[in-house]
Amino acid sequence: MSQLPRFSRARQLTASVWSGKAPDDHGSLVAARLRKLAETGSTGTLPFSGAGDGAIHFRDGDVVLARSTRTPSPDGTNGTGGAGAAGTPFTRLTAALAVAEPTIDATVELLSSEARFAKFRSAKAAVSAASPGIGVEDLLTEVARRQRILQQLAPVVTADTVVARNPHLNAPDIGVLAPQWALLIRIRDGSTPRALAWELNRSVFGTTLEIYRLLALRLLSATSPRPRPGGQEPRFGLVTMSYVRAVVAGNGSVTAGPAYSEPAYSEVATDV
Amino acid sequence: MPVLRCFRACANLRSLTGFRPGGRSARKGTFVILSEADTLLAPVTEIDGFVLAGLVDVSTGMVLASRQVADEMSLPAVAAGAADIAHVLSLLGGQLAADEALEDVMVTFGRHFHVIYPVSPDPDARIVLLVVLDRSRTNLAMARRDIRSFCTNFVS
Repeated sequence: MSQLPRFSRARQLTASVWSGKAPDDHGSLVAARLRKLAETGSTGTLPFSGAGDGAIHFRDGDVVLARSTRTPSPDGTNGTGGAGAAGTPFTRLTAALAVAEPTIDATVELLSSEARFAKFRSAKAAVSAASPGIGVEDLLTEVARRQRILQQLAPVVTADTVVARNPHLNAPDIGVLAPQWALLIRIRDGSTPRALAWELNRSVFGTTLEIYRLLALRLLSATSPRPRPGGQEPRFGLVTMSYVRAVVAGNGSVTAGPAYSEPAYSEVATDV
Repeated sequence: MPVLRCFRACANLRSLTGFRPGGRSARKGTFVILSEADTLLAPVTEIDGFVLAGLVDVSTGMVLASRQVADEMSLPAVAAGAADIAHVLSLLGGQLAADEALEDVMVTFGRHFHVIYPVSPDPDARIVLLVVLDRSRTNLAMARRDIRSFCTNFVS
């Protein structure tokens, strides 16, 4: 008797006899639900529960806000900051980014943690109505791109990898940007990119990338390595993160889970 | 200000990014978070030989706004390349510990110039403007002046 759940066995059987059809994974199911809500121009909230609680708020088919209990939410003051705010183009752009970034960050988390979505709750007025909406297709494309970058980083660092400052530097002198310095001075025992993101109210994805850069500069070391498939020890600092590869290699599909699987590329030293 | 000014990549970007020309083509879609992006980038489109432009957040690689006059190249791939270059140069800057900021990057391909310019004088604001220009129709010096002027107006 197979130990697989009946639903999983059914999906495997479907995939085996219908080779042209990809099995429906969690990411595809959520993506299909989001696309359906976009097509119907829905306004309201799609709640998520399970591995990561949260919600995605819609207005006229666009996503205006997403929240996850595992990522920092946008400041309340930024909720109305979007494209209509006064100021220079740069300040308007950064204000829009301040709303969009936590929304994308939360969506990545909701789709990666395999949170279950519940029944859509329609509403006449969406939350944060003044903030600019993000098209569902744009959002899913960006989420898929970020998931592929997280797959690249997974052998070195994830959002939940414990990192520590490296007391021994090979370089005689080294320079870091202010956002990286803010991370460096906050690293304590048990610090993870996710915890640092919460502390600084930044996106978990962006913080994980900055931690990766600090690892590449040998200013940090990971103290809780993720074991590789096959029992090999991870080789820190031997993976190159590439935005181009994340775009070119992608087929636009949203996957379930941050996919801590072996990346499908050869490793290249990052030492500069 | 003496800065790292010209990063001439007459060689290809393969060694830098692992890009395989024969691989699967990139998606055409772009990501725009600012509804007035078209208006914002309008001055850049007036540069002779303009092909495409985009504002890219280097810290995440996300395209924030874009304009493209022809569909001859993939904006997501080009923008990702610009973010990768800025990322590599930030690692280089970190290792050199030079007390200076990146001013601009110019990549020269056979038919195109790719100009990458940080839009904010603050090095911590990691948003860059990427402009791709047709080499046969562009005066590079004039284009650089126009891009610099655009970025100055963008933040003031």
